[in-house]
Amino acid sequence: MASRSPLVCASNCLQNILFRDAFTISRVLTCYQPVRYRKRSSRHPEWFVRRRVKSFDEGLTQENKQFIKDLTVEQYKNKPSPLKEEPLERGEWDLRTRRTGVLALKIGVIPQWRKDGTKIETTLLQIIDNHVIRYSPPEKFAQSAGWKPWWGRKYGSVVVGALSCEPHLFSKEYNNLFTEAGVPPKRKMTRFLVSPNAAIQPGLPLTAMHFRVGDYIDAQAKTIDYGFQGVVKRHGMKGGPASHGGTKWHRRMGGTGGGGNMAGIWKGKKMPGHMGADWNFAKGLRILRINTKYNVLYVTGTTPGGNHCYVRIMDTCLPNRRREIQNEPPMPTFYPEDVTDQIQEEYIDETLFDFKEPSIEYIDEESNK
Amino acid sequence: MNIIQKHICRCLIQKCNSGNVPLSFVPARQATVLNWLLDKHRKSQLSQQPEKEDDIEQETIMVPRDYKYLYPEFLPPANYRHRDRIREKLERQDMFCRRTMIEVPEFYVGSILAVNVADTYAPSKNTRFVGLCISRENDGLRTNFILRNHIDGNGIEIKYDMYSPLLQSIEVLKLEKRLDDELFYLRDCPPEYSTIQFDMEPIHLPTGSAVPLNTIKVPLGPRPWDKKWDIKNFKGLQPSNRVLGKRAAIRLERSAKPWEEHDLMKQYRENINDEDVETVLKEVVLKTKKKSTKSQRRQ
Amino acid sequence: MSLKIPYSQTARKLRGTFGVGSGPSGRIKRLRMCVTGLIRHERIESTFARCDETRGYAERLINIASRHGDKDKYAMEVADYWLLEKDLIHKLFKVIVPRYENHRSSYTKLYMLPKELPGYGKDMGVLELKDNPWPQVVPKQRETKYFLTNMLVDELRKEHHRTKRSPFVNKILETSADNIDIDSIQNQYILDNLVDNDEGKTKNDQSHENKND
Repeated sequence: MASRSPLVCASNCLQNILFRDAFTISRVLTCYQPVRYRKRSSRHPEWFVRRRVKSFDEGLTQENKQFIKDLTVEQYKNKPSPLKEEPLERGEWDLRTRRTGVLALKIGVIPQWRKDGTKIETTLLQIIDNHVIRYSPPEKFAQSAGWKPWWGRKYGSVVVGALSCEPHLFSKEYNNLFTEAGVPPKRKMTRFLVSPNAAIQPGLPLTAMHFRVGDYIDAQAKTIDYGFQGVVKRHGMKGGPASHGGTKWHRRMGGTGGGGNMAGIWKGKKMPGHMGADWNFAKGLRILRINTKYNVLYVTGTTPGGNHCYVRIMDTCLPNRRREIQNEPPMPTFYPEDVTDQIQEEYIDETLFDFKEPSIEYIDEESNK
Repeated sequence: MNIIQKHICRCLIQKCNSGNVPLSFVPARQATVLNWLLDKHRKSQLSQQPEKEDDIEQETIMVPRDYKYLYPEFLPPANYRHRDRIREKLERQDMFCRRTMIEVPEFYVGSILAVNVADTYAPSKNTRFVGLCISRENDGLRTNFILRNHIDGNGIEIKYDMYSPLLQSIEVLKLEKRLDDELFYLRDCPPEYSTIQFDMEPIHLPTGSAVPLNTIKVPLGPRPWDKKWDIKNFKGLQPSNRVLGKRAAIRLERSAKPWEEHDLMKQYRENINDEDVETVLKEVVLKTKKKSTKSQRRQ
Repeated sequence: MSLKIPYSQTARKLRGTFGVGSGPSGRIKRLRMCVTGLIRHERIESTFARCDETRGYAERLINIASRHGDKDKYAMEVADYWLLEKDLIHKLFKVIVPRYENHRSSYTKLYMLPKELPGYGKDMGVLELKDNPWPQVVPKQRETKYFLTNMLVDELRKEHHRTKRSPFVNKILETSADNIDIDSIQNQYILDNLVDNDEGKTKNDQSHENKND
């Protein structure tokens, strides 16, 4: 590669954009080996790819910076799409299939009204620039080190990325991950477990039409980080009285254990410590409204995490809220060719009040009789 | 300086002067995306469907001065962590849709309103309430206002969501302003200051006149009160005769915060800046233009 | 007018000092002294946290002064409160406001000073008004226009504009997709083992992103 041009040695930025290669050291695949480490550790996992380039000012002039930016946009627009070559067969949906999810961003919480006049809180989740980056079938997936034995050998994996960036921000190794999908490097990636009949091709975009109005979903996100907190805030304990002789005994824990045979502090005793920044689920949320222009889902209730946090959305695992066989979802995801008529800008649930309608009036049934 | 120090110095200086970018204010553990960064991604050409900007000549639109007080619910929250451009846009769309269905008139805290609401438990499935507006809170679809009246010896307050579909109509019986932004102190005032007849006839203002300011000063009733109203410097309250004890006077002295009067950054954090107000109100002007030609203030 | 500098939603708590006092009242007293010092000398050196706090107040003060003018009562009140030495009020309205008449960006600049090795104590910073008469804080950098990278990219750019797309770039764009061995072991290994709670990745990213973006 170096023999092509002296540019390779000269610029780190250009290396990332113009010259991509796959000269890498092959690694040995290992079997599953349980490793003990702290819950929140700053240690990287074994498969960590150095994502950022070191802060190295190349001293490019403003014109040249703009030129390289334009070049990257052009490069990704003119790239032959991997989707045109031998598309994967689309499987059929049954009750045991597991489709991919999407990676959304939480935008905010606003109230909406049902048609019977009750007020509900809805969370807005925007899906920005989602692409499938890799699919690996169950046989391959089971060999890898990240695979856990309790998942079984019936699921493959799909990697989904969101928010495309300019490649000169990242290292060459990280950019090489996206060559198969033919998309610009993404800011954030996640992995979903997928059954083999929902196999999906790398390079496919995922939109809000992946779901339908009336579906139930699970949302997984990282909760707000509160830092080191006391026992009253962390576990909701009662504390002590504010007055009536409460000396230095207001937000304390109380007794930690009994005496005699069962003496001592047991494992798992609720105590002060780090609160939040933990993965959490909100299950069985109903999609009430979909905006296709901005790719926004309106979902009942609230999801974990603060504003503008990443949220993993997938079909619900709750048995009572799954789809019926007649109402099958788009498999493996929504293709614009499937629909003959034009896609509407908004889809609204039957139970939800549409603001374009006139206001609700209750009818007096007794007087009508 | 040796070479290492020079290098560190250079790195640090670069870090501080990287333009209009918040540096250390979002903790790194909070895996959230910053506002400006998200907007950049939405509009970037690398994305699958980049967002198109509205081709409206916004610079030519002039925003009237009183729009800030006429449509306070369109103004977004001041805290930048609770803000999002697309969410505000979608919320405003819903509000404009609702405003085409129901006429939301101009009113302020202190004016008298009559509200019709659908109600399952009422015999006629519809209730009408007349009262004095004592507060107007929140923004977006979450806006509400509280009406207060004194009926059969009981003070009654009802909170209404302004964009609830159950609201049938809002009618202004008397349009005026008061000296304060909130009139919660009427709870502890004599009842005649908050009693309003249900069969009150609407009072019309002459065309083109400004909204009148009611400069009435209300006396407080006997103690106990809900809050210490006499301490809080309300303009619409008569000064009370309560004599503070020794301890209470000291406590009052300690609770004063004279340094907050000129705390410029605190004021900036708690209020929205004027540039953001203008961008929002320009959209409001565009949408309400068509309506205002049809129905001006009822005279 | 909106601020052109980064600010946090919650104010910092500053440490109390002798003669000024602690708490919110002491904080404002200290900041008033810092703002007057900044307007007087146009460059001050203090702890980084204190510099960063004064920056917001100084920007707001100039903002208000330039917007309302010296005949406004509110602007004069604010200037009178924040400038302890009263001859500076004249300087604010007559010297500093006209200086930033056509400014689009912020009025101040903030630098972080290096620590002496071995490092101890607090971070120190330098705060200055823009366009001041002092010599520059950062010594003049080398001109990057004639670096090797710049020269090479310049040539590439010119060629690209001439022929709409140069054969050199064309070649790269075509070959880069095909030449890569997609099924190389590493790529698969990495992507298969992507875990979502990769805290190590996200931890240091945001500060870096800010820098480059």
